[in-house]
Amino acid sequence: MTKLKTALLASTLIASSAMASNAILAQKTNKDVTKLTPTSKAWSYAKATTIHLYPQTTITFNDKKALEANANNHAKEARVKAIYNGKNVAFLLEWPDGTKSVQKGYRSDVYGDGFAVQLPVNYKDPSKLPYIGMGSDGRPVVIHLQKAVQPIYEPNGKGNVGMQQNILSKNKFGKDIKAYNKEVAKLAVTDYQRSFVSEGFRSMTEIKDGSEKFSADMAYGNHAWKGEVVRPLKDSYLKLQGGFPVAFATWDGARMQRDGLKYLSGWVPVKLVGQRGGDKLVESLTAPVKGDVENGKNLVQQNGCTGCHYIPGLSQPSTMAPGLANIGGYATAAYLRESIVDPSAVVVPGYNRNQHPNTPWYNVVDGKRVSAMPPYPLDDKSLDDMVAYLKTLKAEVK
Amino acid sequence: MSKRQLAMVMDLNKCIGCQTCTVACKTQWTNRNGREYMYWNNVETYPGTGYPKNWMELGGGFDAAGDLQAGVVPNIEADYGVPWDYNHDELQFGAELKPNVEPTWGPNWDEDEGAGNFPSDNYFFYIPRICNHCSNPGCLSACPRDAIFKREQDGVVLVDLDRCQGYRYCIAGCPYKKIYFNPKISKSEKCILCFPRVEKGLPPACAQQCVGRIRFVGFLDDKEGQVYKLVHQYKVALPLRSDYGTQPNVYYVPPTEAPPKFDAEGRVIEGSNRVPIEELEKLFGKEVHQAMKTLREEKEKRRKTGESELMDILIAYKHEDMFRLDQNYYQSIAKKQGISLAPVDHRYMAGKNTENKYQFKVVEYD
Repeated sequence: MTKLKTALLASTLIASSAMASNAILAQKTNKDVTKLTPTSKAWSYAKATTIHLYPQTTITFNDKKALEANANNHAKEARVKAIYNGKNVAFLLEWPDGTKSVQKGYRSDVYGDGFAVQLPVNYKDPSKLPYIGMGSDGRPVVIHLQKAVQPIYEPNGKGNVGMQQNILSKNKFGKDIKAYNKEVAKLAVTDYQRSFVSEGFRSMTEIKDGSEKFSADMAYGNHAWKGEVVRPLKDSYLKLQGGFPVAFATWDGARMQRDGLKYLSGWVPVKLVGQRGGDKLVESLTAPVKGDVENGKNLVQQNGCTGCHYIPGLSQPSTMAPGLANIGGYATAAYLRESIVDPSAVVVPGYNRNQHPNTPWYNVVDGKRVSAMPPYPLDDKSLDDMVAYLKTLKAEVK
Repeated sequence: MSKRQLAMVMDLNKCIGCQTCTVACKTQWTNRNGREYMYWNNVETYPGTGYPKNWMELGGGFDAAGDLQAGVVPNIEADYGVPWDYNHDELQFGAELKPNVEPTWGPNWDEDEGAGNFPSDNYFFYIPRICNHCSNPGCLSACPRDAIFKREQDGVVLVDLDRCQGYRYCIAGCPYKKIYFNPKISKSEKCILCFPRVEKGLPPACAQQCVGRIRFVGFLDDKEGQVYKLVHQYKVALPLRSDYGTQPNVYYVPPTEAPPKFDAEGRVIEGSNRVPIEELEKLFGKEVHQAMKTLREEKEKRRKTGESELMDILIAYKHEDMFRLDQNYYQSIAKKQGISLAPVDHRYMAGKNTENKYQFKVVEYD
């Protein structure tokens, strides 16, 4: 975690104009936002937006103890702030976590808290945003991840094989041992801070060629974490301007959370205050969902959705299809609608199909993933009602 | 399933539990860089807790329907054992010999304990265990990152350390608990079947160093090879806990010859066998009956006629017959890839990570 000196940005913040509710308003400054830290005073001048983080329950993982620890998760309320200047944008995510967990020591079964910021490569069409769980085929996302993990080493010791030998086979004594250990320690990568590009989970690939410059930091206090990500507005992956969507995820190490076992927000619109554009996106992501929830529930049952999908109270968890227990929390209405009408539009690789060979939720035809779910070309009213119902499927916020 | 599959056969009748294989593996691969607690090769006493502690009860593997089962990630201190060392350097200055970590558990904590009552019917035998390089690996199926792969050319299962994010679902998914978490690099690591040696025509270090010459290494489709003969022709080598559904590729010749039991007066009970057949059935399945029958018949045949190919194989006369690794095969692969030296697995060394933005695609596993 890079410890940078705090620059006072407060005086230069431009007053924000009233925008649609629930959009994150990124305040403009002419100071260097890369100097911000999670605890910088400047953050207190930025307006906070409340978001909700829902337990991601799309698939069932195969770690017994972790499943027990996450059986009855509630949603969390978090706060987001954003500041930008001509070059960079900084996000601050503040989320409650009663237990500070750091993955450290010679241990095999401890996990660190962490958070991630996800940004879509293409967000022109608000109805075709990438799948919230790490993007989807043809709809890539960039993810910045920071985890509370002790300094870790590169597996190949940065190619320095001589420094990877056991000290006992180095024929060294006394001072030489200390010198050797010091050299070895230098090979440590200081931080578990990574950028990824992804088109659906399981395809997530770390960007290691230095083409993605960002910094992240985490600070714990008052039973909450503050996590900060600073990244360029423009680089070879992303072009952020006007308004764009962002999503956040947090991991609770005490609950053995890692990977898809996490808390996840939906796509939240960000408005760069002082820039034009993005209003359509903001509107699309913040507009209340219209539709008859009761009728939607009936339609979901009549159309047999619960035959494969898990909906609490209506069906049992299964491996046939993604679980929908919290889908209303993190999926957009547009995504839900698209998935009913054209299930193969977004088929994430999911977990390895070999885990459940008898219930594959998709098949691969000519190299393309085709959903096992048939399309349901229903009328607009029915779709609205079903989406309205699905949007109610989410854990209680506590 | 890979195109070809390397396999290992271990003759448990000849394993003396000397741990030479363990040491060969440890000095080669796991005595450094966060791997200190790992034993990619271990030899455990059966019946016993094994390594890690009670690994057979920690879940993973597949059920009869082929669904991956949930498992547990073991704890280093309680289940694997923290490696400890002694203050030998200080002894000359009058210090008392003491460990640097209070040892509470470790591999072989219960070595040679076994089961039964001494001296009437106590028994135990040794089981050396490495990664089974399964045809249907639980670790591979459990990985949400596509970071574990099975090599087409020989079925060796490897971790792509470039893609591994240290989630540890693989550890829960492996029923043999033969994949480990390296806390220093925060990634999973496992037995690599000494592929850099194998590619140069040398057997894995554990097999090479085995003083009992119990280990045979070769391709399962090599009909001239002893591995093929033991597994497919004579069917005396059986996979360990095949009920886990991972189709393991390490095979064991079951311990057939055990001393008879004693009665209350200390007299030999003729025809008795100290190792309960139920235990062997649990480990090797019902096929163990036929395997043991074949072994006894061939032994008898050898005694009577002086001839038995199976007995000759199990005597293990020559390393060159025991290890058939076909260096030319690997060389031809290297040639195809345009590598002039002995090939080293490209993905393992370089990772599947790309410099191009969206080049990575998930490989569908069938």
